[in-house]
Amino acid sequence: MENVNMILCGLGGQGILFMTKIFARAALDKGLETLGAETHGMAQRGGSVVSHLKLGTASSSLVREQTAGFLLALEENEAYRNLPFLAPGGSLYVNAEENEFPRKDVIPYMEKQGIVYHAFPAQKTAMALGSPMSTNLALMGFFAAAEDEPFTHDELRQTIINVSPDRFRENNLKVFDAGFGS
Amino acid sequence: MKQEIFLGNGAIALGLMEAGCQVMTSYPGTPSSEILPEAIRLVKSEGLNTYVEWSTNEKVALDNAFAAAISGKRAACCMKQVGLNVAADTLMSAVYMGTVGGLVIISCDDPGPHSSQTEQDTRFMARLAKIPILDPATPEEARAMASLAMDLSEEFRIPFILRPAIRVCHARQNLSWDTLENNTRKASFEKDPGRWAATPRFRFILHGELNKKLETIGERFSTLSHINYHNLDEGKRYQLGIIAGGVPFAAINDILKDEKRDDIPLLKLGAPYPLPKRLTDEFMGACEKVLVLEETDTLIEYLLGDNRKVLGRISGHVPSQGELLPEVIFDCLGKILEELKLEPFTRKENYGIGQLVQSLELPIRKPTLCAGCPHRASFFTIRKTRPKAIFTSDIGCYTLGLNLGAVDTVLDMGAAITMASGFYHAYKQDGVEQPVVATIGDSTFYHSGTAGLLNAVYNDARFILVILDNLITAMTGMQPTPGIGIRADGSKGKAIPLERVVKGCGIDFIEEVDPYDTKAMGALMKQAIQYVESPDGGIAVIIARHPCVIAYGAEAVPERIPVEVTDDCTECNFCHERFECPALYKDEDLGRTSINQALCVQCGVCLQVCPTGAIVRIAD
Repeated sequence: MENVNMILCGLGGQGILFMTKIFARAALDKGLETLGAETHGMAQRGGSVVSHLKLGTASSSLVREQTAGFLLALEENEAYRNLPFLAPGGSLYVNAEENEFPRKDVIPYMEKQGIVYHAFPAQKTAMALGSPMSTNLALMGFFAAAEDEPFTHDELRQTIINVSPDRFRENNLKVFDAGFGS
Repeated sequence: MKQEIFLGNGAIALGLMEAGCQVMTSYPGTPSSEILPEAIRLVKSEGLNTYVEWSTNEKVALDNAFAAAISGKRAACCMKQVGLNVAADTLMSAVYMGTVGGLVIISCDDPGPHSSQTEQDTRFMARLAKIPILDPATPEEARAMASLAMDLSEEFRIPFILRPAIRVCHARQNLSWDTLENNTRKASFEKDPGRWAATPRFRFILHGELNKKLETIGERFSTLSHINYHNLDEGKRYQLGIIAGGVPFAAINDILKDEKRDDIPLLKLGAPYPLPKRLTDEFMGACEKVLVLEETDTLIEYLLGDNRKVLGRISGHVPSQGELLPEVIFDCLGKILEELKLEPFTRKENYGIGQLVQSLELPIRKPTLCAGCPHRASFFTIRKTRPKAIFTSDIGCYTLGLNLGAVDTVLDMGAAITMASGFYHAYKQDGVEQPVVATIGDSTFYHSGTAGLLNAVYNDARFILVILDNLITAMTGMQPTPGIGIRADGSKGKAIPLERVVKGCGIDFIEEVDPYDTKAMGALMKQAIQYVESPDGGIAVIIARHPCVIAYGAEAVPERIPVEVTDDCTECNFCHERFECPALYKDEDLGRTSINQALCVQCGVCLQVCPTGAIVRIAD
């Protein structure tokens, strides 16, 4: 497999680190080398949070602009902010209403770059299941439904089972499945 | 062999444990905070006997580790780069004295900066103190270097510094590792006053010894082919070469591979000081021009000392502040290739994406105190009751009180108190009694509050000091403090209450209050003002004590008070400006403020804030 670069972004408190952990662990279970970079410290207090993740051999934990195959955004504005990371032909998954995304001003750019975007109301889905803090899992489920690379649905679901703390496991799967089935 | 994904800081802890580190001390600070907890995790899972402690500050931590090292043990001490300033006194002296066992100082840099006052470069502190330093590029390398540093430290009887930058500390990487074993070496301090208590005359001799050691270590560094190496073809001449260390090495290594540029040779300096001169001479000799990529300053450029050949920060080819992100390095090198008329990079068209993103005017996400944070309530009352004061503050979550107009200065650890006395005397000299209110967190007070407070009392300064006691070191990831008497590994230590320390500093006005009760705290502030202003008064200390809502969860909000906003809200903005709770938002549909119930922790403090009484308790 060629190297896959991913950017995961959102706001402090939305569970970007947990999402990173699931992808990294899924990669490890597939025998892929993983290297990633996270945001800690002051920025976590409600600021913009971004995780870089590289699957395959690499030295730098940071993804260079225009080299990410996937961008997963838990918040719409953070999707725009991190757009420069997406490679031509890359895929964008964002927590937003389908008919409200994207803003008009970015459409020409995305078209020129051949960026494929998928908007999905992940937060609403998580809220409806009584888990407002699980937007991350809803978006991952939605992502799993659309992509078989770098992970299949089953691989991601199994990792969520393995990684979730006991008291959250059932709920995490419920939200992931809802995102997948939507 | 186990496969596991380690945080960079965990990889460092693993390397230290693999090297048989017996004593580990630290004071938390981003990006270094997770090294000690990760070591404790390994100590517990592997049944190791390593002694671990959160020390009260970095100097204390280093002194403790140093004593262990000169009793023959293997010791490590972890801190962030500005923490090394606090420990600098120890650093300068310890390197003259040398060690017996290994001593590795891990000082984590923060190019950016992401969570620090400065972008200072630990490598320059190493040069200043004459301590050898290793500069890892990845978690895997940091692990190997932690272990190597321990071995070399012991071999040369000199402390070593490991300098991971934030992109190593907070990177994650899969590593395979095996069972760890206990180091059973016993402490045996051998008295040698000529070394361990050296007077200036002996210090001169020790300095000579140190210089000799550095010479030998520099030669050794030229032979450490797994961390200092280049890919020159023998006899070949190059128009451009690159020397890189640390995180920028990782970035340039990927870029040269991605762009298939094997025409540009690369010298990696994982151990930049003392400079491996044989290696750098070899490389410089083969290249017409050499680009130096290093974070965050110009150590390698200075050590190379060849301004004609070197392209870097001094020549203006590399930015002198901020992180050397992969795209920044790509741009720097791209421009140099054009300047030297070498084969340019094939650039992907980016259609001005940078400007496009700028033009979107995306919301600036400034960090804010969490919903329910007791500091917010304290700042609200402080500003309300002492609006004309100068507000000196300190390093921690509560720096964010600046959003509430209740923090005017943040200098360094402990400066809330020392600057309060400084301001007081500067005005007093002109016959002006300037009100000053200082705020400092519990952990920061234990770290470096007492010396300043003793000084302020002794020299008769007058101000109000509010110690924001949330019973935890919150910003850096919830480490315990001496106030709660829980130690690094979770065992019980002796609690030393703030009140006792403050009293010992000579303070006579010490009152505790729960800041959630803004009325009670307001009344106390008024008493404190009277005390500060009365002729036989002094410094008033208020301990605003309430547990951190993140660390203590439900325990921090014993009475849940669900709230909502009524149509009485006049959109006066007062709550947003003075209280700035993330759970309060401007609801455009309703044309007034609303509560985000997902974020609200139901502390009920906002009920005491709204001037029109539009925030009300939801009836059960």
